[in-house]
Amino acid sequence: MNALHIRHLYHRYGLTEVLADVGFDLYAGETLALVGPSGCGKSTLLHVVAGLLRPSEAVISSTFRGIGCVFQEPCLMPWKTALDNIALGLKALGVPKAARRRQAAALGLRMGLGEEDLAKYPHELSGGMQSRVSLARALVLSPDLLLLDEPFSALDVGLKAELYGLLREQVARRGTAVLMITHDLMEAVRLADRIIMMVPAPGRLVREFVLELAREERTDAWVYRTTAELMQAEEVRIGFGLAQGELPPPLHEHARHGGCVV
Amino acid sequence: MKVLTRLRGALAATLGYLWSGWGAVTSVLMFCALWEYGARIHGDLVLPGPVATLRRLAEMFDSGLAVPELAISARRTLYGLGLALAAGSTLGLLAGRSLTTAMVSRPLVTLLLGMPPIAWLVLAMLWFGMGDATPVFTVLVACFPIVFAGAMQGARTLDNRLRNVARAYRLPWHMLLTDLYLPHVASYLFPSWITALGTSWKVVVMAELLTTADGVGAALAVSRSQLDTATSLGWIVAVLGLLLGVEYLLLEPLKRRVERWRSGPAA
Repeated sequence: MNALHIRHLYHRYGLTEVLADVGFDLYAGETLALVGPSGCGKSTLLHVVAGLLRPSEAVISSTFRGIGCVFQEPCLMPWKTALDNIALGLKALGVPKAARRRQAAALGLRMGLGEEDLAKYPHELSGGMQSRVSLARALVLSPDLLLLDEPFSALDVGLKAELYGLLREQVARRGTAVLMITHDLMEAVRLADRIIMMVPAPGRLVREFVLELAREERTDAWVYRTTAELMQAEEVRIGFGLAQGELPPPLHEHARHGGCVV
Repeated sequence: MKVLTRLRGALAATLGYLWSGWGAVTSVLMFCALWEYGARIHGDLVLPGPVATLRRLAEMFDSGLAVPELAISARRTLYGLGLALAAGSTLGLLAGRSLTTAMVSRPLVTLLLGMPPIAWLVLAMLWFGMGDATPVFTVLVACFPIVFAGAMQGARTLDNRLRNVARAYRLPWHMLLTDLYLPHVASYLFPSWITALGTSWKVVVMAELLTTADGVGAALAVSRSQLDTATSLGWIVAVLGLLLGVEYLLLEPLKRRVERWRSGPAA
């Protein structure tokens, strides 16, 4: 089974330590949500996993091959039509033009983009449409691992629900592993199998919650109730600044690895 | 079917573009009316009217006087401008890639932009004498900083998030060029190219007037010495006509095509 393992991940920007002793596992078909307040290093962590950033120190092993990224903002190429934006990753893989356009169009249509929307440039699309294109751009690659950086944070409730559905469908069909970042606890409860709470200064993982109920059985009532329960946890309350208190600092002494053994 | 819709779209866009030219034509005609008014007041010797000027221009074309001179000036412009576009674009893009080179070259660009072309012309006369090289060189140095600044600005302002997208989706280097850098940079380069085009014609005529024995500038010098205002204005109109033609029939449509994504529906 494909898996991602991260241990003892440290990252510093200059003298500021932004991630300290981060470690987790992610297996195929699983959705893991990283939850935390702004500035806790979530995005940095995601950039590391996406290969956009070299951490200062880490042991990472990953057998996922295709990685799809959905960024916080749609980040579409403004000079490409929606269709060509969706097909971007396929083009990079060397898929011939006709084939990649066909694939991109099929997925675009399934994601609620009209034929005429696909021919438009990003500035002619509404924010919701742009988010769909951004998600389609990642999904069209049929990735083993999908990285989501708060892609739904700027969308209205109805649109969110719709995109959640599209995402769930993809995960169920392809067995895609999802690593998602959010500061919306309810979103995490709705989508994730496991939730990890992160806190800032330095960014670290403080608590993991496992949600046993299958995703398709989660009703709105269950989501609200579970979210409320999680909000009672001490780490969550302190992490989001709802309660005073100190969380244990990262363990600097023993956690570091000793480099490669020859 | 798709080709047909596309063709129709392109045709509509072209017609729309040409139709939008009426506004420009109107303003040019307004200018001509003012010009005619001035001619009526001051008389033909000081300011021949637009009709007289155009008649003289037609005579110049008929007698075979205009075309060779215009061709000579156009050739010099083309060489100088071509060199400036190539060198300015390439070096500007390279300079924009690093913060250090950008910071180093910024004051130099200001310096070069501030230097009057006539000063360069004097130097070029000393260095290259009275041949073709003098106007070509002057055009090159006058246009280079404009293009260089545009290219550098383009390379500096690329959105970091788009660069991250490109890296996350593992775009190979040639796709980085065609799908990321060039489309972005083009939107900065084109305006600077158009500015450079205007500058280049002005500079060439000026350089020819002072240094060479042929070309539009030299012809202007001759007509001036003969107090032939109509011919002088004829040359000026010919140069302006060429400039407008190149800009509005070649560069502007090209710019619209390249920058379709900026405004309006897809053509």
